[in-house]
Amino acid sequence: MDWLRFFRRKRWDEERARELDTYIEQETADNLARGMSPADAAQAARRRLGNPTIIREEIYRMNTIGWLETLWHDLRYGARVLRKSPGFTAVALLSLALGIGATTAIFSVVYGVLISPYPYAKPGEIWSPSIRDLKHPKQGRGFYHPREYLQLRELPAFSAVMATSPGAQLLTGDRSPENFQSVYVTANAFDFLGVAPVLGRTIMASDVRSDGSAEHVIVLTWQAWQRLFDGRPDALGKILTLGDEPCTVIGVMPARFGWWTSEGGWLPLPMTTRDDRNAAPIVRLKPGVSKEVALDQLKAFHQQLAQATPADFPKDGFTTILDNYLDISVASGQMQSSLRLLFGAVAFLLLIACANVANLQMARATARAHEIALRMSIGAGRGRLLRQLLTESLLLSVAGGVLGILFAIGITRVIVVLMPAFYVPNEARIEVNGYVLAFSVAVSVLTGILFGLMPAIRASRPDLVDALKDGGRVSGTGGAGGRTRNALVIVEIALSVILLIGASLTVRGFVKLQSLDLGFQADRVLMVGLQLPPKRYATYEQRINFTQNLISSLENIPGAQSVAIGNGGLPFGGLQSPFSIDGHDSAESRRITVGLISAGYSRTLGIPLRAGRELTPQEVAHGDHYALINETAAKLWPAGESPIGRRIKLDFLERTDLGALPPPNASASVTVIGIIGDTRNSGLRNPVSPAAYVPYTLFAPPDRLVAIRTQGEPMLLLNAVRQRVQSIDKDLPVIRPNTLDSVLGLQSVQPRFNMALFTFFGGLGLFLAAFGIYSVLSYTVARRTHEIGVRMALGAQKEHVLKLMLSMGGRLVAAGLVTGLIAGLAIARYLKSEIFDVPETDPLAIAGVVSILAVAAFIACILPARRAASLDPLTALRRD
Amino acid sequence: MGVMPPRDAHPLSGEMLQGTLDLLILQTLVPGPAHGHTIAHNIEHRSDDVLQVEHGSLYPALHRLESRGWIASFWGTSENNRKARYYRISADGRKQLAEHTTRWDRLVGAVNRVLRPAEE
Repeated sequence: MDWLRFFRRKRWDEERARELDTYIEQETADNLARGMSPADAAQAARRRLGNPTIIREEIYRMNTIGWLETLWHDLRYGARVLRKSPGFTAVALLSLALGIGATTAIFSVVYGVLISPYPYAKPGEIWSPSIRDLKHPKQGRGFYHPREYLQLRELPAFSAVMATSPGAQLLTGDRSPENFQSVYVTANAFDFLGVAPVLGRTIMASDVRSDGSAEHVIVLTWQAWQRLFDGRPDALGKILTLGDEPCTVIGVMPARFGWWTSEGGWLPLPMTTRDDRNAAPIVRLKPGVSKEVALDQLKAFHQQLAQATPADFPKDGFTTILDNYLDISVASGQMQSSLRLLFGAVAFLLLIACANVANLQMARATARAHEIALRMSIGAGRGRLLRQLLTESLLLSVAGGVLGILFAIGITRVIVVLMPAFYVPNEARIEVNGYVLAFSVAVSVLTGILFGLMPAIRASRPDLVDALKDGGRVSGTGGAGGRTRNALVIVEIALSVILLIGASLTVRGFVKLQSLDLGFQADRVLMVGLQLPPKRYATYEQRINFTQNLISSLENIPGAQSVAIGNGGLPFGGLQSPFSIDGHDSAESRRITVGLISAGYSRTLGIPLRAGRELTPQEVAHGDHYALINETAAKLWPAGESPIGRRIKLDFLERTDLGALPPPNASASVTVIGIIGDTRNSGLRNPVSPAAYVPYTLFAPPDRLVAIRTQGEPMLLLNAVRQRVQSIDKDLPVIRPNTLDSVLGLQSVQPRFNMALFTFFGGLGLFLAAFGIYSVLSYTVARRTHEIGVRMALGAQKEHVLKLMLSMGGRLVAAGLVTGLIAGLAIARYLKSEIFDVPETDPLAIAGVVSILAVAAFIACILPARRAASLDPLTALRRD
Repeated sequence: MGVMPPRDAHPLSGEMLQGTLDLLILQTLVPGPAHGHTIAHNIEHRSDDVLQVEHGSLYPALHRLESRGWIASFWGTSENNRKARYYRISADGRKQLAEHTTRWDRLVGAVNRVLRPAEE
């Protein structure tokens, strides 16, 4: 079939016209030959042919696809109608663009972070086994010793098992020394993940020798390749000195591949039982094997291990967990629930926008009643009219959607900036991509139907006689239409109240977090990390000497007030050690946080001493078995019993398998000499953990964290600190320099993210709802101009009119507010999300919502009300 | 549209008549190309004026046949030196004609057998 004819109909039609002309000429000529008069001949010819217009129309129709033609007509008509009322169109487009844009933006984040965060092959089929403490389900382990891993690999349910052991190594060579993320993976890792390198090769089975030791090869991340080799292909075969070992670069991964690191590299994990590097395994199941079967096998395996080596398993029993990798790794916990809530919030926002546009449509439909009645009376069917009106709505929503996508691109950029990086997988890419676009197109179309259908059905059912009799005057259909519009406004207000409740709770939570008593003074503290290469610092003495030299060197920096070592407690974390209190049986496998500190710890952080005394520098230097505990730890002793002078056993101080070296006189028992104030040592939003602080000389790990309290801006001292470190060891980099303030800032990134987005969307919702109130009241004023004129003519004062209009708006607002508060509190209670740090009935939050809404609603009401009050009765009456 | 039924008769099913008109047009074009005017008169003439075609209705039929590829058109000069649109039958059209003629013959035979059983 010749498709072109659909587009060349005009030419076709001209040809047909000419062809028919030819017929007339021919037939006329024949008639003349038969002896007719010229006039008769022409007339007879035309009679013989029939009506040429009808013939041409018939052919024209043959060249069209019916519904497409109608659609095109409707679209053109719709566009004309929308152009003719630019005010309505602009407002509707703005509402839709905001609603669809917000939804699209959040969807692009949800898509990038939750739905498709990974470039890996079938990420939904990866499982991660772990062991959890029966009594403390938050404790446990997901790491396995190579000995365990080799057995785990043999379980029949698994088709593939790979393991990862993260870490960092010192990178030396031509450039200044640095700490380089070195992730050890089993040889099958890249096959397992199903990602090919952009350059060279990945780690292969042959990179692990038959005795289990590994070749010195490294696959670089894209970032490392760019940074170390400027992205040159001749990086392959180059040697990097990692932890004093030469390491050959064999490949480079694509930019989006970020398995446990996106700035370092991957090395083959040695597979010997002598190696004590623990690794986290992930598995794929054999086809047809269910998760339950796999879990049963894993349980049996753990039982077997626990019998053989009980020390490696929790004392009070354990449970076996097999998690889907997406569930544990994708934007863990908070981010996930905050994205879900945000998605709900923007859905509400979209509903508000829909209600708004539906409202405007209905108001306009009333004004257009005459036009519609006219079209129906000259024969337009109801279906045809419905289609016309719906097409108009769809045109509007799709145009709004296009604007919305532009808006979404903007918001998405802001969201990415606000987003706490550590809650989002390395590999996640947040962008407005094809899926997101498809989503927003679908949303636009649905939106168009949602806000267009009801007004269209209503409009296509007018009382013809009335509408026509009205003569096109704005008619007073105050009844059913008015009620629906009022209901829509109430819904809008209620929805925006719900959004505002969410926003106010996040604001309250954030403020609460900011005013939290930390237990220490966070300002003017510089923190740097140090990692001693274990090979060069192989003995306890070497490590302790370095640390002692460093402290005394740093204390002499001008501007440094005090210096402290704190492995643990700077300001968070520390070794989680099992413990027992002398004279008290502790049956439970509770843990205590252990901090390895120098004498200046409490002074540097500004933690007050509550009882007893501080550690002296001499005691620290000697490695005396003394400890400070925090107030929470003091409560581990029975009430009335002072812990000072009592002994506590910290099991980890005797462990040698953690990469740390014990002193010659190692003992796990320490005597409590003082109690210091509680600090928020396990995160700002978590309760304080019991903690014990012992001299750093009791345990020598290869890494140290140093804090320096400064007189002025802490970062200004960084260069001096670096010089002092490198004057002791020129190959030692200073890792992650930071201020204590910004470390704390990281803790509030997520709450700030929640607050920013909820507030933003809440504000948008409020704006749209206020606009809904405004448009309904304005419309009412316009509709009741005549009535108001009569009232004023009969003696009503301006104040009366003002009051009349305000009370009308007030009723709507009050109804919406009450509905919204009830629904919002019910939803908040039901969700019980960790996003909200304060109870949902927080009076300040509710008061805030009510007052903000009241102000916005008042502004939205007063403008049209004043317009009504300032009507000149004469003009108002003359208008009809 | 299609073949005009006798004045007092009820119109027959449009589809059947439409198919018949197509058949007649194709048959008319077998001897050689012709323009619309000739085709109309030809059909009328050859049916001894029994089949009164409303000449206008011929043109949509021609258009339809052309879009199916059974006939092709070109602009030519008519016998009295005017530009006219000529139609000629295509190979596909000839095949369709043969097929439809057979079908028509069978139909006519069947109808006749029903109407005049005595003659058999």
